[in-house]
Amino acid sequence: MRSRNLRRRKFLTLGATAAVAGHTISCSGSKSRWRFLTLDEAATLDAMCEQIIPGDQDPGAHRAGVVNFIDLQLTGFCKALRPSYRRGLAGVDQASRGMFGSRFVELAGAKQAAVLEAMETGQAPGEAWKDLPSKVFFSLVVSQTMQGFYGDPRHGGNREAVSWRMLRIPNPPVRGRLHYDLTQKG
Amino acid sequence: MALKHVNAIIVGAGAGGGIVAKELAEAGLRVVLLERGKWYTPFDCRKDDLRNQRTTVLGNAFGPDDERSPRVLVDAQGHPSVVRASQGGYQNNAACVGGGTFSYGAMAWRFMEKDFRMRSTYGPVPGSTLEDWPIRYQDLEPYYEKAEWEIGVSGDDSGNPFKAPRRKPLPMPPLPPNREYQILLPAAQRLGLHPFDIPMLRNSVPYNGRPACMRCRWCVGFACEVDAKCGTHNTVIPKALATGNCELRTEAVAKEILSDEHGRVTGVAYFNAEGRLEQQTADLVIVSCAAIESARLLLNSPSRLFPHGLGNRYDWVGRNLQGHTYSGAYGLFDFDVYDDVGPGAGIAVSDYNHGNPGLAGGGVLCNEFIRLPYQFVTAIPPSVPRWGKAHKDFMRKWYRRSMAVQGPTQEMPVFDSRVQVDPAVRDYWGIPVARLSGDKHPHTMEIANAMTGKAEQWLREAGAIQTWKKLPGRGLSGGQHQAGTCRMGDDPKTSVVDKLCRVHDVENLYVIDGSVHVTNGGFNPVLTIMAIAYYASANLVKTWRRGRV
Amino acid sequence: MKRAAFVAGLLVLALLLMIPGASLYYESGSGEACARCHEIRGSFENWQASTHRSVPCKGCHGDALTLDAEFHMTNLRRVSTHLRGDVPEQVRIRERDALRMLERCRNCHRQEFADWQAGPHGISYDRIFLDKEHNRKQLLMDDCLRCHGAWFEGSIRDLVTPIDSRGPWRLRDAGRRTLPVMPCMACHQMHRRGQPLARPPATLLPPGPNQELHRPSLALYDRRERTFVSTAALPMPAMREGPRRVKMSPDARQGICYQCHAPLASFQVNSGDDRTAIGVHEGLSCLACHLRHGQQTRASCATCHPRLSNCGLDVEKMDTTFKDKNSKHNIHFVKCADCHTKGVPKRRTPQAGAPVATRPLPATPPRAARKLPFAPASP
Repeated sequence: MRSRNLRRRKFLTLGATAAVAGHTISCSGSKSRWRFLTLDEAATLDAMCEQIIPGDQDPGAHRAGVVNFIDLQLTGFCKALRPSYRRGLAGVDQASRGMFGSRFVELAGAKQAAVLEAMETGQAPGEAWKDLPSKVFFSLVVSQTMQGFYGDPRHGGNREAVSWRMLRIPNPPVRGRLHYDLTQKG
Repeated sequence: MALKHVNAIIVGAGAGGGIVAKELAEAGLRVVLLERGKWYTPFDCRKDDLRNQRTTVLGNAFGPDDERSPRVLVDAQGHPSVVRASQGGYQNNAACVGGGTFSYGAMAWRFMEKDFRMRSTYGPVPGSTLEDWPIRYQDLEPYYEKAEWEIGVSGDDSGNPFKAPRRKPLPMPPLPPNREYQILLPAAQRLGLHPFDIPMLRNSVPYNGRPACMRCRWCVGFACEVDAKCGTHNTVIPKALATGNCELRTEAVAKEILSDEHGRVTGVAYFNAEGRLEQQTADLVIVSCAAIESARLLLNSPSRLFPHGLGNRYDWVGRNLQGHTYSGAYGLFDFDVYDDVGPGAGIAVSDYNHGNPGLAGGGVLCNEFIRLPYQFVTAIPPSVPRWGKAHKDFMRKWYRRSMAVQGPTQEMPVFDSRVQVDPAVRDYWGIPVARLSGDKHPHTMEIANAMTGKAEQWLREAGAIQTWKKLPGRGLSGGQHQAGTCRMGDDPKTSVVDKLCRVHDVENLYVIDGSVHVTNGGFNPVLTIMAIAYYASANLVKTWRRGRV
Repeated sequence: MKRAAFVAGLLVLALLLMIPGASLYYESGSGEACARCHEIRGSFENWQASTHRSVPCKGCHGDALTLDAEFHMTNLRRVSTHLRGDVPEQVRIRERDALRMLERCRNCHRQEFADWQAGPHGISYDRIFLDKEHNRKQLLMDDCLRCHGAWFEGSIRDLVTPIDSRGPWRLRDAGRRTLPVMPCMACHQMHRRGQPLARPPATLLPPGPNQELHRPSLALYDRRERTFVSTAALPMPAMREGPRRVKMSPDARQGICYQCHAPLASFQVNSGDDRTAIGVHEGLSCLACHLRHGQQTRASCATCHPRLSNCGLDVEKMDTTFKDKNSKHNIHFVKCADCHTKGVPKRRTPQAGAPVATRPLPATPPRAARKLPFAPASP
């Protein structure tokens, strides 16, 4: 009984899939190459992450694909954080306009850092921070940037294990087996 | 269709329940072992540093999942909030076959004699329910030994003059020392301390038909890929199943313990893997769900005689929730101290467990398990900014040149640190969830703060050029070391179970896990939980054979 | 009732039409269309810059006109997943894909394929996992799959039963018996950067110190990450013999050998599965003697010892494991002092002390003569 129901449901799902498959093709024309973020949001976030972990002799957040990590997690485990990112990233531009009169990505490095410092201390201007304190959002981005940079490449960040190479961690480590013989002794 | 009546139901296949299942099944009882989680393998582990059982930013690897099992946490201001299973305040251990032992760091400590006699040793501590255990170390000694040999412990505590007397040495030698160990050993000796090899539930040589540790860096929080870590999932539970007397039902979520008009329990109502409510009847019910969930299950099982939950006549169920307050220090060295040889932790001193002037206890100090890169991100001195170029420089320069020494401070039990069931929030199955409230005793904080100084001293002696303290927060303690919620005692008015782990006034209901700990020692508690499980099972089997249950 | 049947009929028709539709969609954009939905952008870009960039997607991933129902169902499932918005964290190829590649690799790389198949790395599941001698002594475990069966999707207990030392053992899926545990894609990645269809002349040289040190396709398939790690990024262990640091060959390709032929955490030579050369052969790369695909070592001595050994003996007939597996002189670890227990005599060769590499190579390398000319992948 149960399995028949399941089968029917599966069939209907596939049917519906077929019916709207044409839509798939049109979706390839969507504007953002990101899953959740818009192009503008991704650019703002990327600049922010690069301030948090800047590139120097070793790659920084941008080259490690931290935005890719965050965007990917926002479609998966961290779905619940979507509103925070939507509001928070708008807030970053509000703060940057309030402080320096232009969008965050257009600011020079030192000014970007100043905006982030204002956010960190909760003094950033902007409507967005009424519901979502800038401190809270900034902390969120810092920890997720760290995850995306120092975490496992399988989650979409730390591209080519750049941070692990920077820290000189062998990956995968070379580890052999101690051979033993059960027939010899307990 | 009714399920076939059995002799015993054990709820929870963790450190305690797994052992009880094996002991009862071998004694010939028909046993059903209920486990709310799955039976994982190393294939499910995947050595993922953002999703395991310690770093859970992308979820708990070994349960429970975020969607179905919320809890309520009441903060210091009295505001309740719903917490997900992977969030810090949840105080999670694990939900899987083996429980915490599937992914633990596996330190295998025997408590010291004084740990069972805290009240007699230190006198009353105002604001704390500090008390002696109704049993002594000597009562548990044979069962500590049994746990060490049956589950498998490696290490060497012969250099520890403070340890409680043991009859037999550990079955396996310690793992060869890593670089941190080699640096810390002479330093401890110069300080006049007594360093020794941490006993670990981990094969250092082939044992029980399983191989030795291959010394990778993914240990605490991860499944062991070579099966060298010894938990109940790869020792006693397979043995229990091999008797043919034990049936393991996974993804079985206990709803309540059923009882009759005479005050005896008759079985357990649970949701099976398909989500269907089942009733399993039995002569005996053993609750082994760990301190928070065991208390929750009792509280969720009111009966005519116990309108506020089984065993809760005097409002002691769920009280005295305690874990361990970890404190210690970090040190930076001007040479590489990291050698990528796991598990990392290897050396300990027990000099500060007792006898600290002005302090009612203390704790063991050990070098720390290997910190994976993301874990190192926040292990920074207060002077280093937490982001920007300076942070990156710090990571790059010091990752391989830092060391941590820390340990679990024995906590002063607090009556108002407790587990209740929430009046409103229910889990996926409609069962009221655990509501956690309370905080740590101020004296716990004083002891923990004192330990940071000892740790710093050891690191500096070892050559650290800079050290800083790792200070604990004041919030409620539970987590992997959760204990105390169904206190063992002789007086039914101030405890939940008797000295044989039987719930006062319910002759066929037992609680066998860390919940019965009166105090939780200055050590990782798992070996004590295992010893109690062997001890309580042995007595339970005797009682059963005399027909007294 | 009639109406329901009509609706159902329509649905079935739509479904049938969509099958090739989905596949055609994937194929029409020559990769670009797939990559536009961003989940495979990285792979797509790597492929465009790879040696295989003139091999179209369908060359490896399947042709829309195939009658293989599973292929179409997979594509349909992808579309359905996409529409549900329930995008997987990463798009991964599966074991099925890796095994299918075998045939496709063989189509062009016939000689390499034959060498691999005849050599020890072409070994099958039954020979690895049903080996009575091994299983009686050591329990099978998940970590076995790190090297033997890296593509297997499941735990060891999903593969073999029982997991004990008594047996009798069998594979849960008997159809797996003859499958190779180390398919081409255990050590080679397809989507990687490299020169298009250029074949370095070095491969025609015999194995030895003069050959190329790195190939972009060489990469370890890391079972845990479910991704490839290029040899350039793989760690090389700092091996020791007792406290002494062993001189290591700079050949980066060995990184892949060391992942499986690995020492214990002590990094001692000959511990665990290690075979790092010490003694007379210290500093040589694994690949100085072991031919890449078949691992053959016969005649490899001649690369450096074209006539006789340093002591005037025929190296292939000396008492080492090269001649006889049971010899106590392991070719990896043999030292002069093992045979010359009373002290090593002076060299008899005229240029005593001259480094081995300066000796002239034979005019016609013996391995090259046997090698078939390379067949280009596509015109």
